[in-house]
Amino acid sequence: MSETTLRRLFAVATPLLLIGAWWAYVTIFNVPRFVLPPPDAVFSELVRLFTSGTIWPHLAHTVGVIVAGFAIGSAAGFALGFALGKWPRIERIVGPYLFFFQTAPKIALAPLFILWFGLGLTSKIVLTVSLVFFPVMVGTILGLRSVPANLHSLCAILKLSQREKLVRVELPAAVPEIFAGLKVAAVQATIGAILAEWLSGGTGLGYLMVFAGTTYKTPLLFAMVLVTSLLGIAVYQALALTEKWLLSWR
Amino acid sequence: MSFDGKVLFCEHRPNNETKLGKVEKLKQAGTHPQVLVRADAVTKIYRSRMGESVEALAPTTLDIHEGEFLSLIGPSGCGKSTFLRILAGLETLSGGKLEWRDGAPTKGSDVGFVFQEPVLLPWLSILDNVRFPLDVFRTPKNEGNERARAMLALVGLGAFEKALPKELSGGMRQRAAIARALVYRPRIVLMDEPFGALDLLTRDRMNDELLRIKNETGSTIVFVTHSIEEAAYLSDRVAVMSARPGRISALHDLDLGPERSEAIKDDPRFYQWLSTLRKELR
Repeated sequence: MSETTLRRLFAVATPLLLIGAWWAYVTIFNVPRFVLPPPDAVFSELVRLFTSGTIWPHLAHTVGVIVAGFAIGSAAGFALGFALGKWPRIERIVGPYLFFFQTAPKIALAPLFILWFGLGLTSKIVLTVSLVFFPVMVGTILGLRSVPANLHSLCAILKLSQREKLVRVELPAAVPEIFAGLKVAAVQATIGAILAEWLSGGTGLGYLMVFAGTTYKTPLLFAMVLVTSLLGIAVYQALALTEKWLLSWR
Repeated sequence: MSFDGKVLFCEHRPNNETKLGKVEKLKQAGTHPQVLVRADAVTKIYRSRMGESVEALAPTTLDIHEGEFLSLIGPSGCGKSTFLRILAGLETLSGGKLEWRDGAPTKGSDVGFVFQEPVLLPWLSILDNVRFPLDVFRTPKNEGNERARAMLALVGLGAFEKALPKELSGGMRQRAAIARALVYRPRIVLMDEPFGALDLLTRDRMNDELLRIKNETGSTIVFVTHSIEEAAYLSDRVAVMSARPGRISALHDLDLGPERSEAIKDDPRFYQWLSTLRKELR
């Protein structure tokens, strides 16, 4: 058996083994469904969610919050990161406040956002933005600062204008760090959106999880954990692919 | 400018009486070499945070001639790189002045600079890297490609135009950097220990390449190095610098002729120069 077939076998066998153990534990010890449902119950719940179409409005809502929060948050993070990266003097002034804002637990701020922006979409997007903003900002600052001194000298020799230097040298050089920030931000956006839905509103994957939990629909809760994990992975992979395409020179 | 330079080279025959260097010969013949830039009592003083001032370069006066290969040699801290960066406009002057024959460089295409490392843009192909200055100067893309390709052929990288910098060896990357500095035909090419990071064999080969390229382009080159042999092998003139404060302690017009090759390394005069320079560096 070659190494690749062996590896593939392991890739299939490991989850099957885990599911088998899970199933065995539940049946042997007769665990109640609302504590730990058997894997087949979770699976059929998952299938029902998609075939009946219940999930679609919730999924669309969550994806909407993620996309909006991620777009606004990364745009703002990039803009401020750009300003701080280019003019360190500004960083000395606003840096401490930003740091304070970042260390404050966002989950604790969530009720405040609901108080300020209502139970609707706005407060959810604001919470997501607050989580996305910081990693993108830090990535942008790092990226712009990481431009080697000699590249600055080269720009000085060739007398590049500020604008040209930015477009031709600084931004392309900063792309790897910006993407590192964006990838962290994408995961944060998913967490933020679901968390926000936990706290308010009647739609979204987060809401569905709370609903499942409070009504002891544990198979549904498990199915939702799977769906949200897969969503997080999908969001991350989408970014990783874009990065791979943009950074093929690395 | 290259025309004048080439004529001067041709007049100089290595097989004739070659006891005198190029400048001496020209003086005898009644022609003075054209001064491209004159550094007049140029100084550089750095101020540390404690308020102390460090004189990196004591008042230094030096003429750089059109079409010559001038080396600056000296121990670290002698201000050779500082002087080069002043010529490039990368450092401000603390005193003195630079007099350019045709006015101080105002365009990006006036000065070529080769760093100790290649300093290529890693996301651009070798061709795009070499064409980069031409893109900045708004040269039409077709012409830019043509010139960049010609330059790549000259440095022996013709087959690698599509490669990314990371795919080339250190020596090849440095050749690409040289091609980038020469592609826009600058008035002066400044090189800051360009081969310092290369192994000896590659370094020897690069030296020959550089001489060949210089003979084809007729560029004026100011070359910083700490290798005596490299300086003697390449240069028309060598300025020996010493440290604390950085200054030019000797200036030599080498009489080794314009045609350099491995053979010159067996020439007694070459050895004579090595020992002279070595003594002066002590």
